[in-house]
Amino acid sequence: MGMRKVAIVGAGITKFVRRAQETGKELSWQASKMALDSCNLTLDDVDMVTLGTAPDAFDGVHMKGEYLSDGAGGIGKPYMRHFVGGGTGVFSPIHGWFHVASGMADICLVVAEEKMSSCHPHPAGAFLTIFDHTTEQPLLPTLMWIFALEMNRYMETYGITKADIAQVSVKNKLNAMDHPSAQVAEKITVEDVLNSETLCWPVNRLDISPASDGAAAIVLVSERVARRLTDKPVWIDGVGHAIDTAYWATRDLSYPRYVETAARQAYEMAGITEPDKEIHIAEPYDPFDYKELHHMEGLMLCPRGQAAQLTADGVTARDGNMPICPSGGALGVGNPIAATGLMKIIEIFLQLRGEAGKRQVPGNPRCGLAQAWGDLMQMGTVVVMRN
Amino acid sequence: MAITEKITNTTTPTFWEGAIPVRYVYTYGLAGEKFFRTVKDKGTFLATYCEDCDISFVPPKVYCDRCFNELDSYIDVGTIGYVETFTLSFRNMDGSEKEVPELLAMVRIGDTDGGLIHYLKGFEIDEIGIGMPVKAVFKPKAQRKGSIEDIIGFGPLK
Repeated sequence: MGMRKVAIVGAGITKFVRRAQETGKELSWQASKMALDSCNLTLDDVDMVTLGTAPDAFDGVHMKGEYLSDGAGGIGKPYMRHFVGGGTGVFSPIHGWFHVASGMADICLVVAEEKMSSCHPHPAGAFLTIFDHTTEQPLLPTLMWIFALEMNRYMETYGITKADIAQVSVKNKLNAMDHPSAQVAEKITVEDVLNSETLCWPVNRLDISPASDGAAAIVLVSERVARRLTDKPVWIDGVGHAIDTAYWATRDLSYPRYVETAARQAYEMAGITEPDKEIHIAEPYDPFDYKELHHMEGLMLCPRGQAAQLTADGVTARDGNMPICPSGGALGVGNPIAATGLMKIIEIFLQLRGEAGKRQVPGNPRCGLAQAWGDLMQMGTVVVMRN
Repeated sequence: MAITEKITNTTTPTFWEGAIPVRYVYTYGLAGEKFFRTVKDKGTFLATYCEDCDISFVPPKVYCDRCFNELDSYIDVGTIGYVETFTLSFRNMDGSEKEVPELLAMVRIGDTDGGLIHYLKGFEIDEIGIGMPVKAVFKPKAQRKGSIEDIIGFGPLK
């Protein structure tokens, strides 16, 4: 396509916490500075900056991109905020990739931030107006409705139980015990998940990731710069993003078609024809435990309805044949929406470099994938990376 | 037609009313916490300074936004500033007329590169000029809460 190769060469991430003392700008600076330091670059070296952050209504700052610009290193540079709901964090590297692959920039700083603790009484209130203002809002829907309805439909279609799904929460919270940024890492059992408070049947408290504050950043560079900076570049070999209709009552909720569409774009670009064999490690978005399974299927990492069985068989464990969310995911590390997606990109980056420490999966993975999902469960974003 | 119609009756079925049901609790941040604690306890302003870029920040930042240096030493820059620019506001946020027009200014603090937007108090409009020195007027210490409202405004030096 005449595009240049693009590598990730540096990464930084703050702790994910329930309530950060830092402002969103300060969180953005911490992650950005860490990312630049990790690859021995300074802000002066950066050609362009791109920032991902989810709804303004979370931080309570209208035009959040502009507000965060100085903390994200955007002052005096080409700088733009992108936003595709919960899919934002994995769109962030795609937005940066546009800049570098097109030749517009040699070095692009990609930052993602969320400060959900500002939002009271609960960030869920900020979601009321994502629903159609005439047909749905008057019913006072909560965000939980869509997940509960989708999870129930998914379980019914494939004959999956709540216990099958709860295994994902158990696995991810355990994986997160080894993540230094983790907010809700813990050793729990399937029974703990099933016995936790029912919030909106079939969704229980421990099926869900928390609201979080945090930021993450990566440095994207052209091939020429990458060769100069590091012996271990991680290449962005495929990107894809796709949106489905917000008329969600018209859709098949048991299968995330938009994820498949985005994945097919990324796989075609990366030359992947058998994703279940060629993708060694994946970080699908897991704000709810069933979503990890749902997304694995949309990503064609397994046949539809089979992801729960793979989880039960240990295939998706950190030492399994296809480690899924070895970071601990949103369920374990926490879920500052945009920063979560970029955390997943960073996890694949570290795993492909063999630098994931205690979280390192065995077998020297060569090819990994991160995916996020957002808006009215309609947006899919996918990035394929290789070392 | 809806485009030209003035909506006066919201009970007819042609429209809905709505609001986003949230409110916000903001943290001061690392630098903001130091700045407003000092306003509350000492009635003065703090700055941070980046030696590499020769730029000072009021309110202070923990980082230099030009070079990303960490800035961790705080300097008391006093409460005197200079009117960088000013305006007289006649309207409220909802478009209604103010009973008394409000005089406000951007005040450069001391010899820093930073400043605050605040009210000018104790001046007639024709007394104001750009470059004029002004001094922060604080609420009595017991009434201060650690907020921008601890400052009543900027007034004459004497």
